Amino acid sequence: MRKLSEGAEARVYLAKMFGSNVVVKVRHAKAYRIMELDENLRRTRTRREAKAMVRASEAGVRVPELFALGEFSIYMEKVTGSLLKDARQRGRYGEIGRMLAKMHGANVIHGDFTPANIMITPSGPCVIDFGLSEISESAEGKAIDLLLMKRSIGDRDYRTLAEAYGSGYAGSKQIFSRLADIEKRGRYQIRTLM
Amino acid sequence: MLTIGIESSAHTFGVGIVSKGKVLANEKLMYDVGTRGMIPSKVAETHVKNAKTVIRMALEKAGVDMREIEGVGYTRGPGIGACLQVGQLAAKTIASGLGVRIVPVNHAVAHAEITKHEAGFKDPVTLYVSGGNSQLLKLSKGPERRYQILGETFDIGVGNMLDAFAREIKLKPAWGSTVAKLAAKGHYIPMPYTVKGMDFAFTGLLTYASSLAGKERNEDLCYSIQETSFAMLCEATERALLLTNSDELTVCGGVAQSSRLREMLAGMCKEHGMRFGFAANEFNADNGGMIAYVAERMLNSGVSAALDRCDIEQRYRIDKAVVY
Repeated sequence: MRKLSEGAEARVYLAKMFGSNVVVKVRHAKAYRIMELDENLRRTRTRREAKAMVRASEAGVRVPELFALGEFSIYMEKVTGSLLKDARQRGRYGEIGRMLAKMHGANVIHGDFTPANIMITPSGPCVIDFGLSEISESAEGKAIDLLLMKRSIGDRDYRTLAEAYGSGYAGSKQIFSRLADIEKRGRYQIRTLM
Repeated sequence: MLTIGIESSAHTFGVGIVSKGKVLANEKLMYDVGTRGMIPSKVAETHVKNAKTVIRMALEKAGVDMREIEGVGYTRGPGIGACLQVGQLAAKTIASGLGVRIVPVNHAVAHAEITKHEAGFKDPVTLYVSGGNSQLLKLSKGPERRYQILGETFDIGVGNMLDAFAREIKLKPAWGSTVAKLAAKGHYIPMPYTVKGMDFAFTGLLTYASSLAGKERNEDLCYSIQETSFAMLCEATERALLLTNSDELTVCGGVAQSSRLREMLAGMCKEHGMRFGFAANEFNADNGGMIAYVAERMLNSGVSAALDRCDIEQRYRIDKAVVY
């Protein structure tokens, strides 16, 4: 297995299974926190991530196919293509808005919905990394999905995305109004990483 | 050059004296919080009574005469208005009496900067944890540098959370440390854990732990609330370190005195091969030394304020203050 990346929460490996490439995401133990808490967290987060992927897929959103689920690990399809953040492909934002509409319609909140987590594949955009996702009706969570994307793309692209989202999701009106509220809050003033 | 710094943002009236980055004196007197917490007017009254004494204590400790002081710094904020005013007035009185320069200082910048100085670090991520604040900070680059907030609490500071819980189970004051003492004999009870990226929230945890008061052993509750809240801080901190490609971490503020929190942060840094540092406890508690330290740096950079521009600002956020 080759390590692809190491985040705060998980290590991601590339492995071969039955001749094809498989991504293995392992939530490794953190020795700094007590074992009971550590295992609880890793177990619930792994389960929650897998559940969100399955739900999104059932709602008709392209996500990496789930192959197997361990207690602290997820085995999934290796999606090939280029990330939206690198590809910057125009004309995709309508599709992406419709995808988000489907996810929110199924109460899947992605939690980190940015161009770094959308892969453009030959068969269309694919949403990846459900590591921070949750299944919830929360207007706040859904609005933050929109907000993160809005901050990362241009105004015109966001308008395209928002229009598609609005016509694809019956509950969108409430989400847009929550988004407007959030943007007025001090805590959410734009933060840029160095 | 001798610089005097005055801190009075909350229950501590502190006076520090610094010369060339070296803290010569760091004296304080505190309002007795008792079981009721802080009543702003009462705290301010106590500061007024203590001000002269603490200033004299600091001068004696440093072995200097008031007339040798060449610069004055005071805490502009954030803090309790009535308390900040006492330090502001004392500082202005000294500056105008001696005819020396004066400069307002951001309290949070002072904690972060003195800690970086004491640890000998260059460009760390800083976890600032106190009663009212819980923030992840990193200094921006460029000519006008400010602390950027990478993540912070959505509701209350971790210190206030532990204090509020301790009151709930009727512990004696110095709550953070009494919680830690009981925690040493506790077992884990699962509790709400809320981290969103580099942000976190504590009220859910507080409400849940409080709802178990009287139903579970206090030792177990203290152990679990402490382990849960500190693990949340560690996770957000770890993410901040990795996202900013940093290899140094400092922890500062009142809660940085917790040996358990330090142990967890040290362990996390060790896993990644990062360096971890903190200052002596006298600088983690509120103190005048850190104010004098930052004031001296500002004055050396040619920054000072006219007496009639020396105001206070209760909500003086750290990202509004330029760092010199």
